[in-house]
Amino acid sequence: MVRTDYGQPGSISSPAGPPSGHGRRLTFRQWIRRHRVAPYLLLLPSLALIAALVLWPTAQIGTLSFQNYGLPQLAGAAPSTWIGFSNYSQILHDPEFWLSLRLSVISAAIMVPLTLTVGTLVGLLLARLGRKMAAFVSSVAVLAWATPTVSASIIFVWLATPDGGVLDWLLTKLPHWLGGGAHWAGFSWTNAALPAYTLVTLLVVWTGFPFIAVSVLAGLRTIPSELHESARVDGAGGWRIFWQVTYPLLRPIFQLLFLLSVIWDFAVFTQVYIIIGGLGQRDEYNLGIYEYATAFQLPPAYGLASAAAFILTIVLLIITVGYVRASVKEGALT
Amino acid sequence: MGLRKTPAALVAFGTAAALAIAGCSSSSSSTGTSTSSSSSAPAELTVWRMGGSVPSEVTWMNGVVTQFHQDFPQYAHTKVNVVWVPWTSRTTDWDTALSSGKNAPDITELGNTDTPTEATLGVLASVSSYVNSWSGKPGIVTGMLANDTQNGSIYGVPWFGGVRGVWYRTDQFAKAGITSAPTTWTELVTDAQKLMKTFPGTYGIDAITDDSNAFASFIWGAGGQIATESNGTWTADLTTPADETAIKYYVSLYRTDHLSPSKYIGQTELGNTGSTAGGANTDFGLGKLDLYIDGPWASAQMPANSVDKSNWASFPIPSENGPTPAPVFAGGSDLGIFKSSKYPQASWDLISVMDNLSNSTSFANLQGFFPPYSSQLTSGPYTANKFLSGFAAAAANSQIAPLNAKNWPTADTGKYFILNDMLKSLMNGAPFASTVAQANAQLQAVLNTGAES
Repeated sequence: MVRTDYGQPGSISSPAGPPSGHGRRLTFRQWIRRHRVAPYLLLLPSLALIAALVLWPTAQIGTLSFQNYGLPQLAGAAPSTWIGFSNYSQILHDPEFWLSLRLSVISAAIMVPLTLTVGTLVGLLLARLGRKMAAFVSSVAVLAWATPTVSASIIFVWLATPDGGVLDWLLTKLPHWLGGGAHWAGFSWTNAALPAYTLVTLLVVWTGFPFIAVSVLAGLRTIPSELHESARVDGAGGWRIFWQVTYPLLRPIFQLLFLLSVIWDFAVFTQVYIIIGGLGQRDEYNLGIYEYATAFQLPPAYGLASAAAFILTIVLLIITVGYVRASVKEGALT
Repeated sequence: MGLRKTPAALVAFGTAAALAIAGCSSSSSSTGTSTSSSSSAPAELTVWRMGGSVPSEVTWMNGVVTQFHQDFPQYAHTKVNVVWVPWTSRTTDWDTALSSGKNAPDITELGNTDTPTEATLGVLASVSSYVNSWSGKPGIVTGMLANDTQNGSIYGVPWFGGVRGVWYRTDQFAKAGITSAPTTWTELVTDAQKLMKTFPGTYGIDAITDDSNAFASFIWGAGGQIATESNGTWTADLTTPADETAIKYYVSLYRTDHLSPSKYIGQTELGNTGSTAGGANTDFGLGKLDLYIDGPWASAQMPANSVDKSNWASFPIPSENGPTPAPVFAGGSDLGIFKSSKYPQASWDLISVMDNLSNSTSFANLQGFFPPYSSQLTSGPYTANKFLSGFAAAAANSQIAPLNAKNWPTADTGKYFILNDMLKSLMNGAPFASTVAQANAQLQAVLNTGAES
């Protein structure tokens, strides 16, 4: 019933007139070809979608971050006022902000390398396995990836519950020299930041590594086997082959995976929210939880939270842009 | 929600387009609305209740609705919808309902500490005109109604009230050789230790970190105050000697006496934030916890397979040196009308049925609360009942301030969790003096300004 006419010739009503000097009108098709606009027309639908779903909310958040915008303003009981950078200075002077930023940075700094390492190792393993075994291992791994975040988080909460959770049980059964022992009985994984984020890290790595593994495997399949063979004939071991043959060839893939992992792991929210059990534990907030709590906890401060969100966006943009520039220079992402 | 809206909107748009194309535009728009004859009778009233749905309370509510339809024939066709909201997400849900304008209640239950704040935030409609001409008003406990009054306007009516005490099991006391309930802090620890020794594998008492309403009794029981107000300015008192004694004692229940397990750090009496099970309540119900601090209303959240229910009893939270119990926080719930309700009159009429003397009393009895009517409190069966007598004794000595201060919810579980975080840090080994001093400064700032700095 409703037709979407994006990018179809008929939807452009008045193309620019033909360049002077030509007697006859160009057809629309010729006009497109002459001005090389076809790629842009094809990009238009996704650009419009990104603009509607990303750019517009970002602009809104940007506007709100300079306003005193809370519940009275939302309800229309009081007008919103422009307050300059006061939201930003309030955020930057809030010790809680720095604590949550620290937790986000530290946890990402551990999660990203761990996910990449585990993923790569599994990818290398998959490349060596026989067809049946590879199918089995990869489908089991992808199952972890496909588990909805909320379900996976709840599973982890249950695994680690002090009341008969399998994790505590296992740790009490471990021999003493492996760190096991009776003191693990009833150990609470959620009552402090360190154990809680250990659990979050395990969860993020578990659900994150299959994507890395599958991507690395896909990359490995593109490397001609002669390269590995000749390296082996020259006497290189597995370690050396990886760093001197595999890694340089797959560098673009690794760089992309690294970038994606940084973005994902820095913005981890759902897992943390479920594992720390809501917003009750301020000392266990990461940046995402901090923003959410600022926005919606009593009294709601949407302006303040927007400033916090904008700061996070800028930090991520700096990392991303810097990284993409470096990669483009190296020719990796082109 | 946002994602699901899109296809619906598209479908609606598509349907409209199809209708327009087909040329039948006019008659379809007016169906489904205005079936009721009178404009003042709503087709539906939505009531938000706090907590998890409890069958007996649902039955009670059905009875109230039947009465409502009988007493007010003009609402005979009004459907009453009850929505259960978890206590911990109530503020967020009120905000969301008010800001989105969608799924908002007409009537909402509020914790009595919420009412002053929500009234100031503009979530509640003033009910002064209704209350002042209400037959129930003269019987309501004056202090409870005063708590719902802001700047001369009334924003809610007290529905039920209650106090916390210590739950125990009489058979366990007998077996452990405890002949009378403890009346000092030293006795409380000694008795908890006896119980743990007699019943290996159990925890003595629950020193949870996330229930300021209960923890307040320890501060007050040492003769201290959490914060005091004078000329509209709050002074936080956590660094006074009495408060420090109380904080040290409470933390020592976990750290030095090992009466409380580490998993209770960061938990409410009902478990993780937002849960209604899996915390100290479940442990007490299953016989894994010997002494449990909560109000009688917690019976509703006890596990179905609770053990030894017939021996449940209560004693008041002891004060530091006895023999009078520690003052307790006078908790409870109010009923208010949501600002955005289109039917304030109908909502009030329903409230007047829910909160009349006989209904509020039967409701209070149902869940182990006390009704808000003075006459019911002074007599009544409460003092004779083994389970309720401890709570009734505690209720004789109650206090609300500063837990009803305008910014208290912000300082407490609304945003800053100041006392919770302080206790949690201390139990996790943070240095005493600096942690308490920091919490004190933070509390004073938030109580006065609504923000940390």
